[in-house]
Amino acid sequence: MTFLLRFLTRVPGRLTVITFAVLLAVGAVLVNSSAPRVWIGIYTYFCVTLMLVLGLQMFMGNSGILNWTYVGFVGIGAYVSSILSVTPSVKALGVPNMYPALVELHLPVVPAILVGALVAAALAAAIAWPLMRLSDAVGVITLFAALIVMHVIMTQWDNVTNGPRTFFGVQEFTTIWIAVGGAIVTLIGAHMFRESSLGLRLRASRDDRFAAPAIGISVVRVRYLTFVLSSFVAGLGGGLWAHYITSFSPKSFYVAEMFVLMTMLVIGGAGSITGAALGSAVITILRQGLLQLESYLNNSGVISFEVYGLTELGMAFLLIVMLIWRPDGIIGGRELHLPFLRRRIAAADAAETAGPTDPI
Amino acid sequence: MLSVKDLHASYGSIKALHGIDLEVNEGELVALLGTNGAGKSTTLKAISGVLRPVVGSVRFADEEIANKKPEAIVKKGISLVPEGREIFTSLTVAENLRLGAFSSYQRSRYQKDLEEMFALFPILEERLNQPGGQLSGGEQQQLAIARALMSHPKLIMLDEPSLGLSPALVDQIFELVSALRDRGSTVLLVEQNAERALKIADRAYVLKNGRIKFSGSPQQLESELDLASVYFGGEEGKGEVTV
Repeated sequence: MTFLLRFLTRVPGRLTVITFAVLLAVGAVLVNSSAPRVWIGIYTYFCVTLMLVLGLQMFMGNSGILNWTYVGFVGIGAYVSSILSVTPSVKALGVPNMYPALVELHLPVVPAILVGALVAAALAAAIAWPLMRLSDAVGVITLFAALIVMHVIMTQWDNVTNGPRTFFGVQEFTTIWIAVGGAIVTLIGAHMFRESSLGLRLRASRDDRFAAPAIGISVVRVRYLTFVLSSFVAGLGGGLWAHYITSFSPKSFYVAEMFVLMTMLVIGGAGSITGAALGSAVITILRQGLLQLESYLNNSGVISFEVYGLTELGMAFLLIVMLIWRPDGIIGGRELHLPFLRRRIAAADAAETAGPTDPI
Repeated sequence: MLSVKDLHASYGSIKALHGIDLEVNEGELVALLGTNGAGKSTTLKAISGVLRPVVGSVRFADEEIANKKPEAIVKKGISLVPEGREIFTSLTVAENLRLGAFSSYQRSRYQKDLEEMFALFPILEERLNQPGGQLSGGEQQQLAIARALMSHPKLIMLDEPSLGLSPALVDQIFELVSALRDRGSTVLLVEQNAERALKIADRAYVLKNGRIKFSGSPQQLESELDLASVYFGGEEGKGEVTV
């Protein structure tokens, strides 16, 4: 028993990450076996969103830099994987102006999603090279500008993306099991990254930008590597998202969606994996609740006018309340720590060492 | 081991160092003394690569390291404990110590090093899972020194380790610094507290306005130079005021 406790508490956050992973798996089994169909869809969507928030946490949470471009890399993952996985005949129908060479390209879904993630990471590697050298505030503004550039390209390059029109005909590949598997792997991956040497160095540079180089941390390098890694997760999540939603347009990868991801991260606590996971869950529940409320109000005739945008209002309100009372999020900057468990382990250790050395 | 020749450094247009010559041999504890603004911290920053570019030569273990990046210099074995205990306040004590070791990380050695640090600084073991920011000033200073030691530095440079600590803690820190020398570390110590530093130092340099004013043993320094004049201005050389 103490062996298990010791394993779970040795690294900060390990206990909560494993708890979340188990809850996700159990939740998937329950939802799949006994809930209405629409719930299965919501649960799948939640798992993909969780994956995206965790990828965002890797860079933004550990470096403290608002990463506005993130959702753009989600879009690249979505478009590249869909262009590769959709059959040529469907593509010719859906995107009439597409370059003939692209129409011919065809891959199975799994490699298509992987290539999408790799393209997102490669693009991140190219644009982050100058970006990560910028100081914090200037860097954030440039990241925002990069998102606008990516959005303009997605809406205008209709030989590739079908322009502002919907890109449709994507195969429905992402089942609840694939989504929950992706979420659990990302959860554990993001946790391992946070506690790794690279993650620790990045967190040190967030804590004190100027003390970090004095102990031998190359701030530009750790930021760069993490940005590329985080964009890879964005591309992967984007591919899974596209193969769940099956039709999308460039407006799915812009400020409104970025705002949702950021709210999830900030409300839970950007500094920890526990916070990212909890924030995603809280906001998903809140959004679904408000959507239900909105449709009830509009359809039941309780009020004489129609209401729209309750979800956005609710999220903005929650964000403001959180920023006033708990600017570090529900969990705060650290992983959840449980001193009483540590004390129990220490007591067990003391009993163990006292036992055998007892002379009489 | 460390040999600095004709080192010039400046902050923008303000020159802070006008040709420093300095020598630290293996196993020595060398004190670098001087008033505020004399260039003590600047010298350490220039050696550790935090302040660049510099003009002149810094040789460490027969290798030119002037204008190298700080992370490269840490890898060569020079560790700086900056002024004002720059530990990472939101990271735990354990994480701070791990950061000290990352440039030469070996899992097997790491556990042994940690235990050695706990023997030197018992308080750190108690506080292992607390954020650095919750530690008192003296504890933070111990953590800063322990973090530097975790990288097995060939040369450890301490910038005013006694600054802002209560007298009892100052005693503790000075005992610790001489203990470091006794266990074979090479130390370059910057101090305002000249009297205390001279008691434990093998050799000393006195800096004034970015130039070396004196170098020699603590005994020589006390007989040739009036410390009060260095610290309070006035005539150099032996004056009326005795220390």
